[in-house]
Amino acid sequence: MKDSSKVIGYAFPWSVAPGDEVQFHLSSDVLKSASARIVRIRCADADPRGPGMKLHHQPSPLDGEIQLASHPIHNGSYGDIPDTKGLTNLKDFSIGAWIWPTFLTGKDQVVFARGSSTAAGGWRLYINSDGCLAFEITDGTHTASLAADRPVVVREWLYVHASFSATEGKLTLTAESLHKDGGRAQHVDLSGSSSVQPNLAEVASLTFAAELSGKTAPHSPTRNHFNGKIDRPRLYGRALSGAEMRRIVDSVVPDLNDPHLIGAWDFSLDISTDAISDRSRNALHGTVRRMPMRAATGANWTGTRTNWTAAPEEYGAIHFHDDDVEDAGWPVTQSSKVPDGIRSGFYSLELTAEHDGVKTESHIPFFVRPPRGKTTADIVVIAPTATYLAYANNKSRIDQIHFEVMADGLIVLSPDDLYNHKHRELGSSVYDTHRDHSGVCYSSARRPILNQRPGAYTFNYVNDTHLLDWLEEEGFAYDVITDEDLDREGVKILKPYRVAVTMTHPEYTSKNMLDALQEYQDDGGRHMYLGGNGFYWRIAFHPTKSGLIELRRGVTGLRSWEAEAGEDCLSFTGEPSGLWRSSGRAPQRLTGVGFSAQVFDRGASYRRLPDSHLPRAAFVMEGLADDEVIGNFGLRAGGAASLEIDRADRDLGTAPEAMILATADNTGAGGIPAPEELPVLYRGFTGEESTIARADIVLTPTAEGGAVFSVGSIGWCCALSHNGYRNNVARITKNVLSRFLDPAPI
Amino acid sequence: MLRTSRDTAHFEIDPTRLDLAREFRRAPKGPHSPELRRVIHRMRWSGTGGRWCVVTVEPGVRWMLARLPDERYGEILTYPEITFTSLNDAEWHVFRIRWEALTGNALPAEMD
Repeated sequence: MKDSSKVIGYAFPWSVAPGDEVQFHLSSDVLKSASARIVRIRCADADPRGPGMKLHHQPSPLDGEIQLASHPIHNGSYGDIPDTKGLTNLKDFSIGAWIWPTFLTGKDQVVFARGSSTAAGGWRLYINSDGCLAFEITDGTHTASLAADRPVVVREWLYVHASFSATEGKLTLTAESLHKDGGRAQHVDLSGSSSVQPNLAEVASLTFAAELSGKTAPHSPTRNHFNGKIDRPRLYGRALSGAEMRRIVDSVVPDLNDPHLIGAWDFSLDISTDAISDRSRNALHGTVRRMPMRAATGANWTGTRTNWTAAPEEYGAIHFHDDDVEDAGWPVTQSSKVPDGIRSGFYSLELTAEHDGVKTESHIPFFVRPPRGKTTADIVVIAPTATYLAYANNKSRIDQIHFEVMADGLIVLSPDDLYNHKHRELGSSVYDTHRDHSGVCYSSARRPILNQRPGAYTFNYVNDTHLLDWLEEEGFAYDVITDEDLDREGVKILKPYRVAVTMTHPEYTSKNMLDALQEYQDDGGRHMYLGGNGFYWRIAFHPTKSGLIELRRGVTGLRSWEAEAGEDCLSFTGEPSGLWRSSGRAPQRLTGVGFSAQVFDRGASYRRLPDSHLPRAAFVMEGLADDEVIGNFGLRAGGAASLEIDRADRDLGTAPEAMILATADNTGAGGIPAPEELPVLYRGFTGEESTIARADIVLTPTAEGGAVFSVGSIGWCCALSHNGYRNNVARITKNVLSRFLDPAPI
Repeated sequence: MLRTSRDTAHFEIDPTRLDLAREFRRAPKGPHSPELRRVIHRMRWSGTGGRWCVVTVEPGVRWMLARLPDERYGEILTYPEITFTSLNDAEWHVFRIRWEALTGNALPAEMD
């Protein structure tokens, strides 16, 4: 078995143009060096039943041996207030907040801390290893602490408060649950005397959801991360009772003229950023690190409004996780200037080595777009990098118990899956859940992603390269841009092209992307959508950071988790997330088809429908017999209509002039409709008994002589190479692409 | 959140229905009769007898047996000595294990 993870890494940025620098951040725990070269990807699928792996060496200054070192990744999000000048000369103080703990780890989880818990003047309010609320203060030698005797109740709001008085030698710890019915009630009221005399005059950082470890890089600066939400944390310069402090915590905007108010952090401010703001006159502003989930409902959320932009005062919470990761932060191992004249396409830094007699071949993918402001072809292929990010290091087949029965067969893992399972520090996909079972809603390109590169993970990236392989085989010149290019630059990046091609599974789409594609089509552009389950989930790219997406899964759609009530709007933009269908823009409006079903067991074939004989559509089926079965072959489940498939629906937006040319509506018992396709529960809904689970081939003439052609199946492109590329899937694809390249109006 | 549970699978497999095992042996990837579907759904849902899977050794050519953890984050066990040159053979291997685990009866050797 070939190894592919002895050296791993990431390229940044993913999309580069000639003249740009691409940086490679690499790490190996065992190799001192590896042989490097840049390869252009034609086909990344090693399956011998298909075209096979086709990687072409692209000579570059990187050719040769590359030196490697080992670099760690640190997980766990937290808030950091580095400047604590308001704390100097402090003798007495109180802290308070609402918390919503989600996971008792058996270890300490810090809610709010000052400095390191072992340093002079350090204190922390935390959940201890028994799951109980606790408060601790130290002078570096002696420690005073209080702890409740019952564990907190997870997923329930709890008001927490602690105070310390150096002058009275007293500390207190109180807590009160928001809801008290059915065993939810929590009440803590503890006090004790203390001779500890912490030095609070010294400047020290405040942290939320973690404490400082006292260590510096390469070690993590933090430890004891909290899992759950923290809402409206406050720091006050007097030792108040729990009830007195609660009034300050509960007020969204406390009395800012109160001279004893040291900090009143309002996490509902700056939600789209990493900033956390202090409303007090001390302005103890800070930063959240490693991407905790923002736009989280607070303890005061009423449910009246479900978008944080409409009621920011009810979204004063941040949900922290001890496994969050954003940027691995590895140093640049090598960088390379993309040379002028290089062809646009999919590329990778290929690293090979041998360790303990086992050969390693690892790939670090990136994408080369054409020179900025120029095109080098009439066809532009849009690499679905939002989808690659969404699936990054997907572990749902391992973690989610239903996966085998959903896949209708044994789960087939790749060696990279085994590595990913063992190395959770690489972070997860938006299909996965955190350790506390809340959904992962952010995915970053600044970390190694092992399943969207050449290899044995046969979904998305590998499938997409079957289309590249066919374009090369047929001699069609093409440029490649990425989803993020489309998001940032809009329709102007598409306009110069006669044909835009979207790949096998462009499932995740931002508003900017969708607007650009729609405008391109409306202006006469030709769009070939050669995939399935496209334009389905509404995501956003981060407004300023490259390579970072956000998704909130709502209460419908084929979803591996569900956002908490009130938390299905994007923190990056304030837009609703969930399905585009729920935003009035079902995929059918753009492409004529939209997600209908999964078919993982046996792929289906298409049969021609009367529309395919209309003169306007004759070019599509040219060379096919009137009754010819289409795509009863293919590398994925044996049929061109397979894996995830789409159907036309006038009610959902398929255009009145759309022509439904063919359908694969006999998908058998394995054709399982998507949840949103079943408005009510009834029997007989699988592809064995119903045509709801089907793939349609649709041609839609658009304004200004443009058109959209859709095949509605992930498996389509994986059938292109069948029989030495001589088959009717390839024939149809070529017929349409050739016609779409012809400027004559369609 | 939104968790699924293996405990919800409760279909009782009739150990005398060897005809269903033979049907699976003939066509592990189907199409399957409704009776056989209930059997394999029970096997795949509950994981009784092990959450078995395969790991690709050579893409499209050879796979080895592996076992997913019952508890999240547990170790994935691999069995490099048990490999298959077809996914159908792997399906049958696992079907055998699960049939015995769920019914208490081993499938006859001649069914291989």
